[in-house]
Formats: sequence, C-alpha cells, structure tokens
Amino acid sequence: MEGLLAGDDDAIRAMYARYGRPIYSLGYRLLGTRESAEELTQDVFLTAWRKATRFDPTRGRLSTWLMTIAHNLAVDRLRRETGVSRPTLVLVDEVPDAPGLDEEAVLIERDAAQRALSSLTEAERRLVARAYFRGMTAREIAETDGIPLGTVKTRLRSAMIKVRKANEGKDTE
Amino acid sequence: MSCGNVRERLAEHALGALPARDSAPIDRHLSWCAACRKEAGELQRASATLAFALAPHDPADGLEERVADVVHQAVERRDRRSHPVPRRSRLAFVAAAAAMLAVLGTGWGAVMAGRAARSDDAVLRQTIRNQSAVERFRDVLNTAEFGDPEGEVFLATLGPAASGGGGGSALTLVSPSIIDMAIVLVNGVPAETREHLPFTVRLRGDDGVVTVGRIEKGDLDESGAGTVMGEFDDLTGYDSVVVRDANGDVVMSGTMRTRADVASPSP
Repeated sequence: MEGLLAGDDDAIRAMYARYGRPIYSLGYRLLGTRESAEELTQDVFLTAWRKATRFDPTRGRLSTWLMTIAHNLAVDRLRRETGVSRPTLVLVDEVPDAPGLDEEAVLIERDAAQRALSSLTEAERRLVARAYFRGMTAREIAETDGIPLGTVKTRLRSAMIKVRKANEGKDTE
Repeated sequence: MSCGNVRERLAEHALGALPARDSAPIDRHLSWCAACRKEAGELQRASATLAFALAPHDPADGLEERVADVVHQAVERRDRRSHPVPRRSRLAFVAAAAAMLAVLGTGWGAVMAGRAARSDDAVLRQTIRNQSAVERFRDVLNTAEFGDPEGEVFLATLGPAASGGGGGSALTLVSPSIIDMAIVLVNGVPAETREHLPFTVRLRGDDGVVTVGRIEKGDLDESGAGTVMGEFDDLTGYDSVVVRDANGDVVMSGTMRTRADVASPSP
C-alpha cells in the first residue's frame, strides 16, 4: 500500500495484476457493460489511492477492502442510473475453471467463495445474489417476491451468518 | 439506534441491501461502537468473499495502462499541491455558469412535481436531460476563459432517499492552482419534503466532513430547485454528497466520480 500511495508504477501494476480482473468482473456483472466496468475499475484504484492511509491490514485483508470499495461504488452507480441492463448472473461454480489466468491468491479467494456459496441453500443463494450482485435492497426483494420485509431481512441475516461461518479460521492471506 | 437494532441490519449493510437513508444511522453508530464495528467487519469480509464467486471476465488490454495513468495523474496533482502557489477564486464565474445549469435542469422539478402521474419514461428522459445539463456545465469549465490545465472535475448524480423524491447533481473542482469549489443543485424536491427545510449540504471525505451550504425556504423555486456552492482549500478525497433535512434525515445523496480533467475532457 505504501507503493500505491507513493504512486510507484510497479506497485500499481502489481495490485492491478492481482485484483484488476476480479474488480472488473464485479463491475461488469453489476453494471452490465465493458465501458462501465472499465470506468469502475479506474475509480476503484483511484479511491484506493486516496484512502490508502486508512487501510489497516490488522483489521482486514486488502482483497476485502478493495472489493468493498468496488461493490459500494458499483451499487451506488447502479441505483442512480436507470435503464441499466445486466448480463445473466453466472457464478464461478457454474462455469469451467480458467486455470493459469489468475494469481494464486485470487484462486484461494475463489475457493473461499465457492465454500461460502455451497454452505447456502439454493433459495439463500438466489437471495444473496440478488442483494449483492443486483444491488437490490431488502425492501425491493420483498416487494418483488410478495413476501414480508421482515422475512427477507431474517433470511439475509441467516445466509450471511452461514457465509461467515463457512470460512471461519481459513484466513486466505 | 441501539446495538440490537444495528446488529439486526448489519447483514443488509454488508451486502449493500440498505438504502442510503437507512445506512447513514448505522454508519454513525459504527463510528463509535467498537463491538458492532467488529461484527460489521466480519460480515463485510464475508460479503467481499462473494465478489470472487463471479465467473471471471477479461478486461481490455489497455485497462492496466489507464488505471496506472489515473493514479499517476492523481499523485502528480498531490505533489504539485504540496508546493503551493498563489490560488485565485473563481466563485463569481461559476455562479454565473451555475445559474445556467439551474435553468437547464429545472425540468426535473416539473416531472417530479407530478409524481403520481409520472411515468418511468418521463423520469428517464429528465434524468438524461439533467445529466446533459451537468455535462454542458463541465464543457463551460473547459473553456479558455475558465481553463485550468491542472484541475480535475468530479460529478455526482444525487438520488432521493427511499421514501423521498427529487434529484440533483453535484460538481466539485479540485485544483492545485485555483481554490477548490463545490456546487450542488437539487431539483424537484417534493412539497412534503420541503416542510423539513432547511437542508444542509455536506461533502464527506477521508479527512472528515465539510458543509457546502444550507438551503433555506426561500432558496427553492416553485419546482423545488435550488443551488448551493462554496469554496474550499482542498477537496481532495471528498467523494460523497449528503443532503439532510432539519431533522438530520438524509434527503438525497450521491457519490462523486472522476469524469474528466478540466483540460482534457473524456470523449
């Protein structure tokens, strides 16, 4: 992070090599176009540079921090722009692996993601995916499905506790 | 909010499934409650893990260069700022340009005023028109009269809180050679929301919060449109805009995004 803060070219490119692709993939799936995903990726790295002094490695992993920035920026944009068409959501365990394209750390993260998803029921997976990958609020989900808001909140909470427990004790960095 | 109430909503918070209006009080609670912050952090880590569940997509080859360029340019601006030069104000010029922008954007108020009858198409058309007005404002900033080769423009579209209405735009100008400034326009503020004036418009960033200005009852026109602006020493890193009513509730909010260097607008 010190390298990023100083604008060191090698540090920026190393961070991009490690996280550029997952950030871009998240942007593409949430925002629906390559142009938007590229803009988001640039915004994420610029935001990371601006906030680099606030990153505390003792409180969390760099991947968590970057993906949280990316998700917040993408959801914020998604909710402000109308008419965004998004591609069909495809999760990693539904497509063949693409070995050799990602650094080991990202593959480990992907394993953790698969472990988390496999801890959920199909209904919970769909629910979490709509909130996290579609940017839907709990109220929007409740209205769409015609179920009480409290039920959606309870199910989201239950699902997230499972996701958290699935990787407890498995620090990936 | 109590710790119990906050913890009930931390899963939604971590997933981004809370509207801005509901997130703000939770963020305030987390700023002082270490126990809730710990749980929030754990859930945030869990939700970030989900991002890696997506099937990977390959970005274009040139993206790495563009990412590196964006960061390098930001570093250069910061370094120049650390060697300060006399900076001039531009408030008078921007006030005139903002008046133009306000006129361009007022149609939004008409659309939102008839909320019961409005169609999604009408809102979409006005959103595009509103954004177009902001883009034109940015073009004004690119003119020779106003030119600032070292400046950077950030734009935001403001969205209403979940139960509210109206919209708006915000623009910040960050420059090492000219005093930084922010201009925030709100449009189509519904009559029921106007009962809770004055509004306070703030920018939030790495170094805290600055107040751009207050919108009093007499500041809004009949369509619910109004403008505030202010000059600041340094707006670097101030990346979110929050408009609160007299009760402290969020009326609308948005996130600043880099759109173009003043001297070299994006195509």
